[in-house]
Amino acid sequence: MPEIRLERLVKRYGDVEVLHGIDLQLADNEFTVLVGPSGCGKSTTLRMIAGLEDVSEGEIWVDGRPVSHLEPKDRDLAMVFQDYALYPHMNVAQNISFALRLARRSRAEIDAKVREVAEMVGLTDFLHRKPGALSGGQRQRVATARALAKDSAIFLFDEPLSNLDAKLRGQMRAELALMSQSVQKNMIYVTHDQIEAMTLADRIVVMHGGYIQQQGTPRDLFERPVNKFVAGFLGMPPMNFLAGDIEVVGDDVFVAGAAFRIRLSDARAAAARKHSSRAVTLGIRPSDLKYDPDAEAGSALKLNVEVSEYVGAQSVLLCRCGPERATVELSSETPMALGATLTFAVNPDRVHLFNRGTEVAL
Amino acid sequence: MSTSRDRQNPAWFALIALLIFIAVGPVVLLLANSFKLDVDITSGVGGLLFMPTIQNYETALCDVLWYKPDHLRFCQIRFGGAFVNSIIIALVSTALTLLFGCMAAYALVRFRFMGRGSLSLSTLAVRMIPPAVLLVPVFGLWNNAFCLDKDYGLVALIRDTFGGRGDVCLAGTHSGIILIYVAMNLPFVIWILKSFIVQVPRSLEEAARVDGAGPFQTFFIVVLPLIKPGLAAAAIFTFRIAWNEYLLASALADRDTMTVPILIVNNASEFDGLGTIFATGMLLAIPPIIFTLFASRQIITGMTAGAVKG
Repeated sequence: MPEIRLERLVKRYGDVEVLHGIDLQLADNEFTVLVGPSGCGKSTTLRMIAGLEDVSEGEIWVDGRPVSHLEPKDRDLAMVFQDYALYPHMNVAQNISFALRLARRSRAEIDAKVREVAEMVGLTDFLHRKPGALSGGQRQRVATARALAKDSAIFLFDEPLSNLDAKLRGQMRAELALMSQSVQKNMIYVTHDQIEAMTLADRIVVMHGGYIQQQGTPRDLFERPVNKFVAGFLGMPPMNFLAGDIEVVGDDVFVAGAAFRIRLSDARAAAARKHSSRAVTLGIRPSDLKYDPDAEAGSALKLNVEVSEYVGAQSVLLCRCGPERATVELSSETPMALGATLTFAVNPDRVHLFNRGTEVAL
Repeated sequence: MSTSRDRQNPAWFALIALLIFIAVGPVVLLLANSFKLDVDITSGVGGLLFMPTIQNYETALCDVLWYKPDHLRFCQIRFGGAFVNSIIIALVSTALTLLFGCMAAYALVRFRFMGRGSLSLSTLAVRMIPPAVLLVPVFGLWNNAFCLDKDYGLVALIRDTFGGRGDVCLAGTHSGIILIYVAMNLPFVIWILKSFIVQVPRSLEEAARVDGAGPFQTFFIVVLPLIKPGLAAAAIFTFRIAWNEYLLASALADRDTMTVPILIVNNASEFDGLGTIFATGMLLAIPPIIFTLFASRQIITGMTAGAVKG
């Protein structure tokens, strides 16, 4: 299966540059997820790989061969579209076999392939239905089956689950994960949903403003975000950011803000000492804040609860920390009143520090 | 529900019956009388009690029948030939208009090229010119400019074989009339089809491209089936115009290519019986009815064929 390499890829619409030189290398049989907020250029990147958008500058290499001048059909790829793009006038079987029929494969071969992929996605009973008579999830399956039937080396997904309701989305996500394990293909998946990205990806590429912010395994990105954007984008509820200053007191290094003062672990302290500017942003994930009334002051946040969102076993508390806001999770069992001030222990090994000006991680 | 109770009311059914009678009555009368002898029509009794005969149809179509009807001494009205001309001209001009119209509409909707906006607007502006304005210039051009010279080999051969003026002009040919009908109807057809093509999601065409379809395959296999309702509406429209058009056809047609409206006007005095008039009327009404029924079925299936997503 091919190796895909994007080299200084630039996209301009008129005078507006939306992609500013994307460099990316995608290895064999990898499930790569491009993730980012709306307008970050992730879909444009995918469509350029597919050949649906012209490349303004740079080159796309597939197995060492430049492809950016090729038509989509000559690039050996299959694509699942956000709105599924099923041909409404053809039934499911005709939709699935469309590419094969265009390629003038034999009837027997087409029938066998249609049956094979229909079985794979569980559509065998619906082969003679028109897309209009299918539910959203079934349409999504037809779109996936149509792409699978092509037997291409590269598989592109453009937000394939965003038109489904939440429950179905979870289910289809699991099915996709299962499929990606059994099908040996190079998959590129675009989404704005960080949960999809985290659960499906071998490698996540976070994009923002037409630049790649960071790429790596989901764990890498979650534990070692390179900047404040990546840190805030991945993880749910999102990371809390609190403005603070670095204070060096003897051997200890503290981050002090309006309503907190936290001692850094040795590793973080070393990084903080080297840093030139004192103004930092402290990042703490809600999952790294544990309710602990007895926590010592140097590793605790005192939070004033403003809103409690009950979501079952856990409640999400929106709190005030001095002038800033913070989100924490708390077991719903814990007795708590709105307006109360609770103490949460901070895991000092898992706090993140960012330069407040450049937002780059220390 | 109150509406359903209203529909139980006998007055409601009476109203519907009246409306149906108003709509269908004349057609039934036309149909019944076309099968009557003139004496039965004028005697005024027994509306629906008569001995049906196809004599009127034999009279109307005498020039294309393979036998000579007993009741006719000679064939006076060449209705059959005009009928065939009308069908050829209406069908061919409709087919050509749709073919060019759908491709032009697609290009105007999907492709970005210089002058697209003004071109799009000018197609509609052409509609504002009344056909009568075209009449004189087209007549002149068709008779003088668009002729194959008499000295060309092929044309000379035709002249020597069939006789005649010696040059072949667009005037007096089916093609000449078809051409002007296509030109006349294209702008409106483009306008209708544009609004249908705009609704075809672009992602469908992209999917087809990824699946390996070339531009023409994408257009004919994916886009065209989806705008069938639009094509049907446009087809009904162009067919009826071509079928009814009088002005241009009267100037451009000759003896052998005249359409039914021309024939009727030219020979109005020669229709010698009411029965023949009813029969020709019936024949004249049938093709548009069949065509419209056929095309409107496409409209209905197109509407129910359904959504791209839901």
